[in-house]
Amino acid sequence: MLQKRQILRQKVLSNTEIRPNIFLLKVASPEISVSATPGQFCMLRVTEDKSNDPFLKRPLSIHWINKDTGEIQFLYRIVGRGTELLSLIREGEEIELIGPLGQGFKIEDKEIPIIVGGGIGIAPLLFLADILRGTRGVVILGAVTKSLLLRLGAFKESGLEILVATEDGSFGNKGLVTEVFDRLMARLDESDRKRCMVFSCGPFPMLRALYHLCKIYGVKCQVSLETFMACGTGLCLGCAVKAREGFLHVCKDGPCVDAKLIDWEG
Amino acid sequence: MIDLKVKIGTLRLKNPVLLASGTCGYGKELSDFLDVSMLGGIVVKGISLEPRKGNPPPRICETPCGLLNSIGLENVGVERFIREKLPWLRDKGVTVIVNCLGNSIDEYKELSGRLGNVDGIHALEINISCPNVKKGGALFGTDPELTFKVTKAVREETDLPIIIKLSPNVTDICEIARACQEGGATAVSLINTLLGMAIDIERKRPFLGNIFGGLSGPAIKPVALRMVWQVARCVDIPVIGIGGITSFKDAIEFFMAGATAIQVGTATLIDPTSSEKILSGIIDFMKENNYLKIADMKIVD
Repeated sequence: MLQKRQILRQKVLSNTEIRPNIFLLKVASPEISVSATPGQFCMLRVTEDKSNDPFLKRPLSIHWINKDTGEIQFLYRIVGRGTELLSLIREGEEIELIGPLGQGFKIEDKEIPIIVGGGIGIAPLLFLADILRGTRGVVILGAVTKSLLLRLGAFKESGLEILVATEDGSFGNKGLVTEVFDRLMARLDESDRKRCMVFSCGPFPMLRALYHLCKIYGVKCQVSLETFMACGTGLCLGCAVKAREGFLHVCKDGPCVDAKLIDWEG
Repeated sequence: MIDLKVKIGTLRLKNPVLLASGTCGYGKELSDFLDVSMLGGIVVKGISLEPRKGNPPPRICETPCGLLNSIGLENVGVERFIREKLPWLRDKGVTVIVNCLGNSIDEYKELSGRLGNVDGIHALEINISCPNVKKGGALFGTDPELTFKVTKAVREETDLPIIIKLSPNVTDICEIARACQEGGATAVSLINTLLGMAIDIERKRPFLGNIFGGLSGPAIKPVALRMVWQVARCVDIPVIGIGGITSFKDAIEFFMAGATAIQVGTATLIDPTSSEKILSGIIDFMKENNYLKIADMKIVD
């Protein structure tokens, strides 16, 4: 019989607040580090408490992986009780998790990768940028203001060209990532645009605006989606999002999907 | 020597742990984590005559010790189930119970007739209790007369064991259970989810796309246990206990209340191997307490 996948219990290396309410969680997980691809996620149990409250695991995309050391990272923001409890886990403690899960980004060698991330949505994109090291790729990172710009130094290490947008102009270009993307596309010629593949994650309105620009420029686009999830493994069908036809299930069909499959007005 | 086997009419289960409908897909989805064939059986995702897309999102909402869902019986329809999903289960030697949903008595009849002629299906669980669909579902399960009619209609259509899945959203669960027995049901399973809701106070609207949803998980276990206790004492047919079972201790409580078998539902969503752990916990408990059969655990009152 085939080896069954395990529910892993792994050691927490650190769980640090890098900005107010934003945490970088590092976990020793050789199993996940060897098999995961950029864009995939894990389900994490946020507490060792046996009280069944909170009851569900939490889905977090894999932020970065060090295949040599077996370290995996998650970047998350405290948004509710689950992530608040997760933030209390300390170095040396164990965490229960399942992964890697779902569909990652589809990467083709001949493409010019354009990575676009907004706010905490940059979480799944560092692992991707690292994998795309040495390509002609461009990374566009956005935040409301300079102090909320996340992991800029880590993205720079990928060697890709980095463009930054802050809404208040406190760092990089003033404005939205979509405006930076628009200008970037405008200066590329038709044949280069055809070779571009956009990889994006961020708030829904940002993804929608980005998808509309991609349509105008004739550029392919993949997005990483976020929804409420119960199981993360395709059992409950709870993570449905509206698609052009019927629904997509974020845990199995995604989280990374071709943007044209989504019903953006739904 | 402990005997874990249980009988539900002509249905023979190697052990009393089943996977509950809607929390285990069609079995294959779980197979990365679990050897489904080592369990008593699987109750597959509810099947209707035609495929159903399900309800608009959001479909789930976590609540204290529980989960609200309004999936809306998204399923591939009976023909695709038979063609694409059943062969895998048959090959693995899994005991398959098909959860059936109709919009009318005629649809329940047609569905059970269709499934009754297919190799690899061991029993039907008739879903007259789904709170998340407009027609059918709970409409039947909250009315004793309609419950009787559906049960009788399905009974006349197939020789397979018939398990009627009951709704807790009723005033008198025994009245409904007796209607099942009179209609010729082999067994009853209970409870389905409790009708509930949540409101998003920031957006100032109901949280779930379908407004109402079904509450499951440890939060509902006391209600489920009470109803299983009642039903086990008002009908003579076997009772299958469902509702918030997440540990072997929960399962033992249901056996003590009078359940012949149990279903693990929402717990599988959090830990896909829950059912396996519950089964091994049951075995250990029986050994330590010198129980030889599942039925020996029932509290005699």
